[in-house]
This record gives sequence, structure tokens and C-alpha cells, in this order.
Amino acid sequence: MNIETTKPTKSTKRAGWGSRMSNETYITIFMAGVLLVIFLIACLAVPGFYNPKNIINILTNNWYIVIIGIGVTFLLITGNFDMSVGGVIAMTGVLSVYFCQASNVSRNVLANGLGLPYGVAIGLALLCAMGIGGINAFFVAGLKVPSIIVTLGTMMLARGIGQVVTQGAQRNTSLPDVFGVIGNASIPGTTLKFSVVIMVTLLIIAFIFERWTVAGRRTYLIGANSEAARLSGVKVTRHIATLFIISALLAGITGILMTSEYKAGLSSRAMGFEFDALVVALLGGVSIAGGFGSVLNMFVGAILLSTMTTMATALLLSPDWQFTLKAVVTFIAILAQRWALDRRSRG
Amino acid sequence: MATTQTQISKTTGSNDRSDARRATIKKYYIYLVLLVIVVAFALIKVREVGLFGRGAFLSPDSVINMLRISVPILTLSGAFTLLIISGYIDLSVGSAMSLAAVVFSLMILNGFSFLVAFLITLLLGVGMGLLNGFNVMKLRITPVIATLVTLNLFKGIALLIVMDGTSAIKSTATQKMPAMINSYARHDVFLGLPLAFFIAIAVIIALIVVQRKTILGKYSVAIGGNRTAAELSGISPVKYVWILFVIVGVFAAAAGVARASYMSLGDPLSGDQMELACIIAVLLGGTSFTGGEGSVAKTMVGAIIIMCVTTGLMTVIPAYWQTLATGSVLLIAVVINQLLARESLKA
Repeated sequence: MNIETTKPTKSTKRAGWGSRMSNETYITIFMAGVLLVIFLIACLAVPGFYNPKNIINILTNNWYIVIIGIGVTFLLITGNFDMSVGGVIAMTGVLSVYFCQASNVSRNVLANGLGLPYGVAIGLALLCAMGIGGINAFFVAGLKVPSIIVTLGTMMLARGIGQVVTQGAQRNTSLPDVFGVIGNASIPGTTLKFSVVIMVTLLIIAFIFERWTVAGRRTYLIGANSEAARLSGVKVTRHIATLFIISALLAGITGILMTSEYKAGLSSRAMGFEFDALVVALLGGVSIAGGFGSVLNMFVGAILLSTMTTMATALLLSPDWQFTLKAVVTFIAILAQRWALDRRSRG
Repeated sequence: MATTQTQISKTTGSNDRSDARRATIKKYYIYLVLLVIVVAFALIKVREVGLFGRGAFLSPDSVINMLRISVPILTLSGAFTLLIISGYIDLSVGSAMSLAAVVFSLMILNGFSFLVAFLITLLLGVGMGLLNGFNVMKLRITPVIATLVTLNLFKGIALLIVMDGTSAIKSTATQKMPAMINSYARHDVFLGLPLAFFIAIAVIIALIVVQRKTILGKYSVAIGGNRTAAELSGISPVKYVWILFVIVGVFAAAAGVARASYMSLGDPLSGDQMELACIIAVLLGGTSFTGGEGSVAKTMVGAIIIMCVTTGLMTVIPAYWQTLATGSVLLIAVVINQLLARESLKA
């Protein structure tokens, strides 16, 4: 099989400066450069921006976007969208609360749950999340329906389940103490949250997966040319189905962590996260055009977004600015990356 | 593909009669669905209030109200169908509608005459359509991503226009919203229906004619069926799809005006999830999501089905079931659409 060699052949074709570097690495470095420039501007514009505490904050405070971003990135590489991640976060959180709440303790329906032990509760909630991923997989990989349509539907479906279980409000009573532990735990002696450790671990696993495993390289092959991938023996349908289920599982893990942090199951949690996950992937240089991108790109994109939102908040922009800001920044990033790649291929 | 081959070998055995039956099912199933839904909702409360009594699904008040609020979805999903037929999608329609509603009511609040405000809002719609067309056709950004970005851009601008601390453009202590804002989409003109409804009917007929009888309609089928072939035979996809984006933009703006006029305020969230409603209507209408075939008239039936389901469900189940219902309806619509696509493949 020559799948593993796709990348070297791609980069050796290019001539000129840094020709041995893959296009992904090139874009990562390009965006890291942009990040550095923006960071320096922020340091000049905002007093105290460069202090270590703030930098650690920027690196870690959107851990939840990074975790769901991993699944979204891999799907983008294969040319698919997953818009259901926000809904899955909300649904998993609400369900984990519902499963864990003590049963028959109150007249209030929202205070009663199933009274399962915590471990079983989150296990079941994660299974439900994977169920949504399974629906995505069935429609997109099995029935060949465009992913954007299916996942918009499951987005509503998952959030709708959350709303029905919470009756449009929230569930936050009669929970055992253990429920709030993982979301609020931190590494002893630091303020780093346990969730951040999970983010870093998942990032490393994802990076190893995409660079050094056969399945990881197949993801790129499918994105570059799914017909060629199928003809060379890759089980495209099964691969994409697995990626959808993994993406939903990652969203489920995020949902469990966030819900544990606030100790409340809220059906409106993670509204618009699907767009944020897409934005960080695109900002970092992941491309829908096929077979291009890396979780490393996505992480750089996440830091870039975090830097810019922190700067915007510090510069007294009201929260209403964030939609416009994200849109404009993504737009510029897409064009800048295309410009950089065009320049490079011309040599 | 292997699956296609098996399907072809199957079809060689099928006779003309069953093919004709399939074609008939495809042609008329949607009317049957509509009929079943209407009858079901009409019968739910038949014991308490009778078939046409006060509070019944088919009571004159209820029907008139349903037709009044269906003006935006009817017109917008019609234009949306043309874009889908050409193989493109615009996810920003909901936000474009919100922005138009906000801008329109802001102008009315500040003493513009109705017609002037209407025309300026339509110009805004042209602008929004031009922007989408430019991003997709000139800059060649994937339609989903380009329009997701403008979705957030329009939404962000609409939120920025509305003052801090208020939820919508409406009468304040110092400024009163003129009552004439209602005259377009709420006031009784004929049979209890407002002017906007009759304009919508005229516009829909025009759209059906455009789709069936004009160059634009034929070319959009050609572009959606096979873009390269269309290009080789001298059709300019850039030009015609761009025109379609502008048409959709104008219709979104008009839908925003109708919504603002009906609610007498400019709500920056009023168009939320309109893109989903449009997608459902188009799917129900049997339009192929890969482009190349479809019908505006059938989308209209799909849109009426959505209105019936939303209105009917509101009387039966609590509001917090609404999201789950919408998501399920979308997925069911996908399944129906797929079944029909299979049929046409066989036939």
C-alpha cells in the first residue's frame, strides 16, 4: 500500500524555498506567524496582556472547542461537516444529570432522576452521544446524504432531547457530590483544570493518529479522492462512519466535563459551538477542499481565536461583537491561506 | 459503483407498469402527506370544538393566522429551491432575514415612508446576495462555509444595530413605532388576509414560471446536473448562480420585511433557523440535494406542510418539544427524499 507515502510525494513535487516541508506544516507555520503578530499587537494595545497568567488563560480557556474541534477537523479532512456537536454537548450533559439524579425524592419532576451511580450515568450518556453519531454515520456514510443537512437535523434532534428532558428549563438538584468533581478538579499545586489535561491528552493521541497510523493516513486519502481510496481497498463508508461516532463521543466527553463543572444540566448549553469548532479549524488552515489539514492547525486556530476574543474583550468591545468578529476573521483567514498556498506553489 | 450496477441489473427485470406506478407515487405522494397531516390535526380536537369551531385546527381564525405567518417561509423557500436545483446552498437566509427585519423596522421607527423603507431593505438584500455570490462564485469558497460565515456576519450586524439592553427594534419612551408598519403583513385586505399574502402568491407564481419556462430555470438545472458540461456548452455558472444568490438575498430581505411588519418590531433573532425550514420544505418537495432536478411548486407544498405541523403541534404538545419535532421532521424528510431518489434512479 502506498497510502503512507502520499505526503512525501506531495511535498517533493513542490519547488523552491522549504520544498521538503508539507503544505500542512507550511500553513501551520504561516498561521503561527500570524498568531505571533497579532499577539504582539495585543501586547502593545492591551496593558498586561503578556503576563504569564493571561497567556496560560489564552492557551487553555477554550479547551471545550479544542476537544470537539478534533472530531470536526478529521471530518473536514474527509470533506464532511459535523454541525451536531453543540447539540450533542447539551444532550449528553442533560442526560448525565438526569441519569444521576436521585429518584423519587421530590414532587418536582425536574428534581427526580433515575438514581444511577455516577459511572453508569456518564457511561450511558456517552452511549447516547454515540447514538447521535451513529445516526449521522448512517445517513451520511450509508445513505450518502450531504453531511451538512443530516447534521443540522441531528443538531436539532440532540438539543431537542435535552429540552424535553429538562422541560425547557434546567436540572440541577439532588445530585451526588461526586458529580461536580471531574469538572472542577485541577492539577495539584496549579490552577490548571483536569479538563485541560484531557484536552492535551486527546490532542496528542489525535496527532499520533493522523501522522503515524494507517487509519490516520487513510483519512487524508479519502479526503483527497474518495473514489481512488475505495478502489485501493479503503473501506470509505466504515471509516467515515467511525469518524462521525468518534466526533459525537468527543462532544459527549465535553458535555460531561462542562456539566460537571457547573453541576447543572442546561439544554441551551454549547449554543453555536458547532460554528466555533468550524472556525478554529478553518482559522488554522484545515480545508474542506479535501485531504488537507491537521489537528495541530486546529489548535493554532483555537489559540488565534482565543487571543483575538481576549483582546476584543479587553478593548471594550461588547459581546455582541463576537459574531461579526468571528465571521470577518474567518473570512480573512481563508483568503490569506489561499494566497499563501498559491504563492508557494508558484515557487 | 457496485451498488449502481446491481440496481441496473435489477431494473432490467421490472416492467413498465410498476415503473409508471412509481412515477405516480413520486408525483402525488406529497399531496397525500399534506392531506393526512391536515386531517390528523383537524380530528385531534374534533370532540371538544368540532371541525371548524373556535380553537380547532381548521377554524377560519386558525387558517387565516397560519396563512398570514407563512408568507416568509413560502416566498423564501421558493427562491431557495432554485439555488438548490443549481447545486448550491445558502445557509445565511435566516440571518439575512433577521438583518432585513431589523434594518426595516429601524427605518420605519425613524419616520421613513413604508415604500422607501421597503425598497431600501430590498437593496440591502441585493447587497447580501451579491456578497454571498462573490464569496462562492468568485473567491470559490465552499458554499456551506461561505454562507455560514455570512450567517454569523449578518446576525452579528443585526445584534449590533439593536441597542444594548433591548431585545429588538421597537417603540421606546421617546420614539413610537408608527402603526402603519402593520399595514403590509397583518391588516385585513381581502378575506381576512393581508396584502403581503397576495403579493406572496403572485411572487410564487412568478417563481414557478421562472423555474419552468425561462432560461434561468433551464440553466440552473443544467448547472446542477453537470457543471462542467454546462460550462462547456457555453453557460456561465458564475453569472447565473450569482444571479440566483442575489434573488435569494432579495427574497430573504422581503421575508424579513413581512416578519417585521407582522410582529411590528425588528427582532434580530426573528429569522433564526429559517434555513432549516427552507431545507425541510425543499427536501419534502423531492428536490434533489445534489442538484439538477426539483420543483418550486412542490417546495410550496412542503412549506405548507411545515406550517401545518408547527401550528398543529403547538396546540398538542408543550413548546419545549418544538426543537425535537423540527429535527425529527428534517430527518424523516431526508429519508423520504432518499427513497424518492432511489425510485427515480430505478425508473
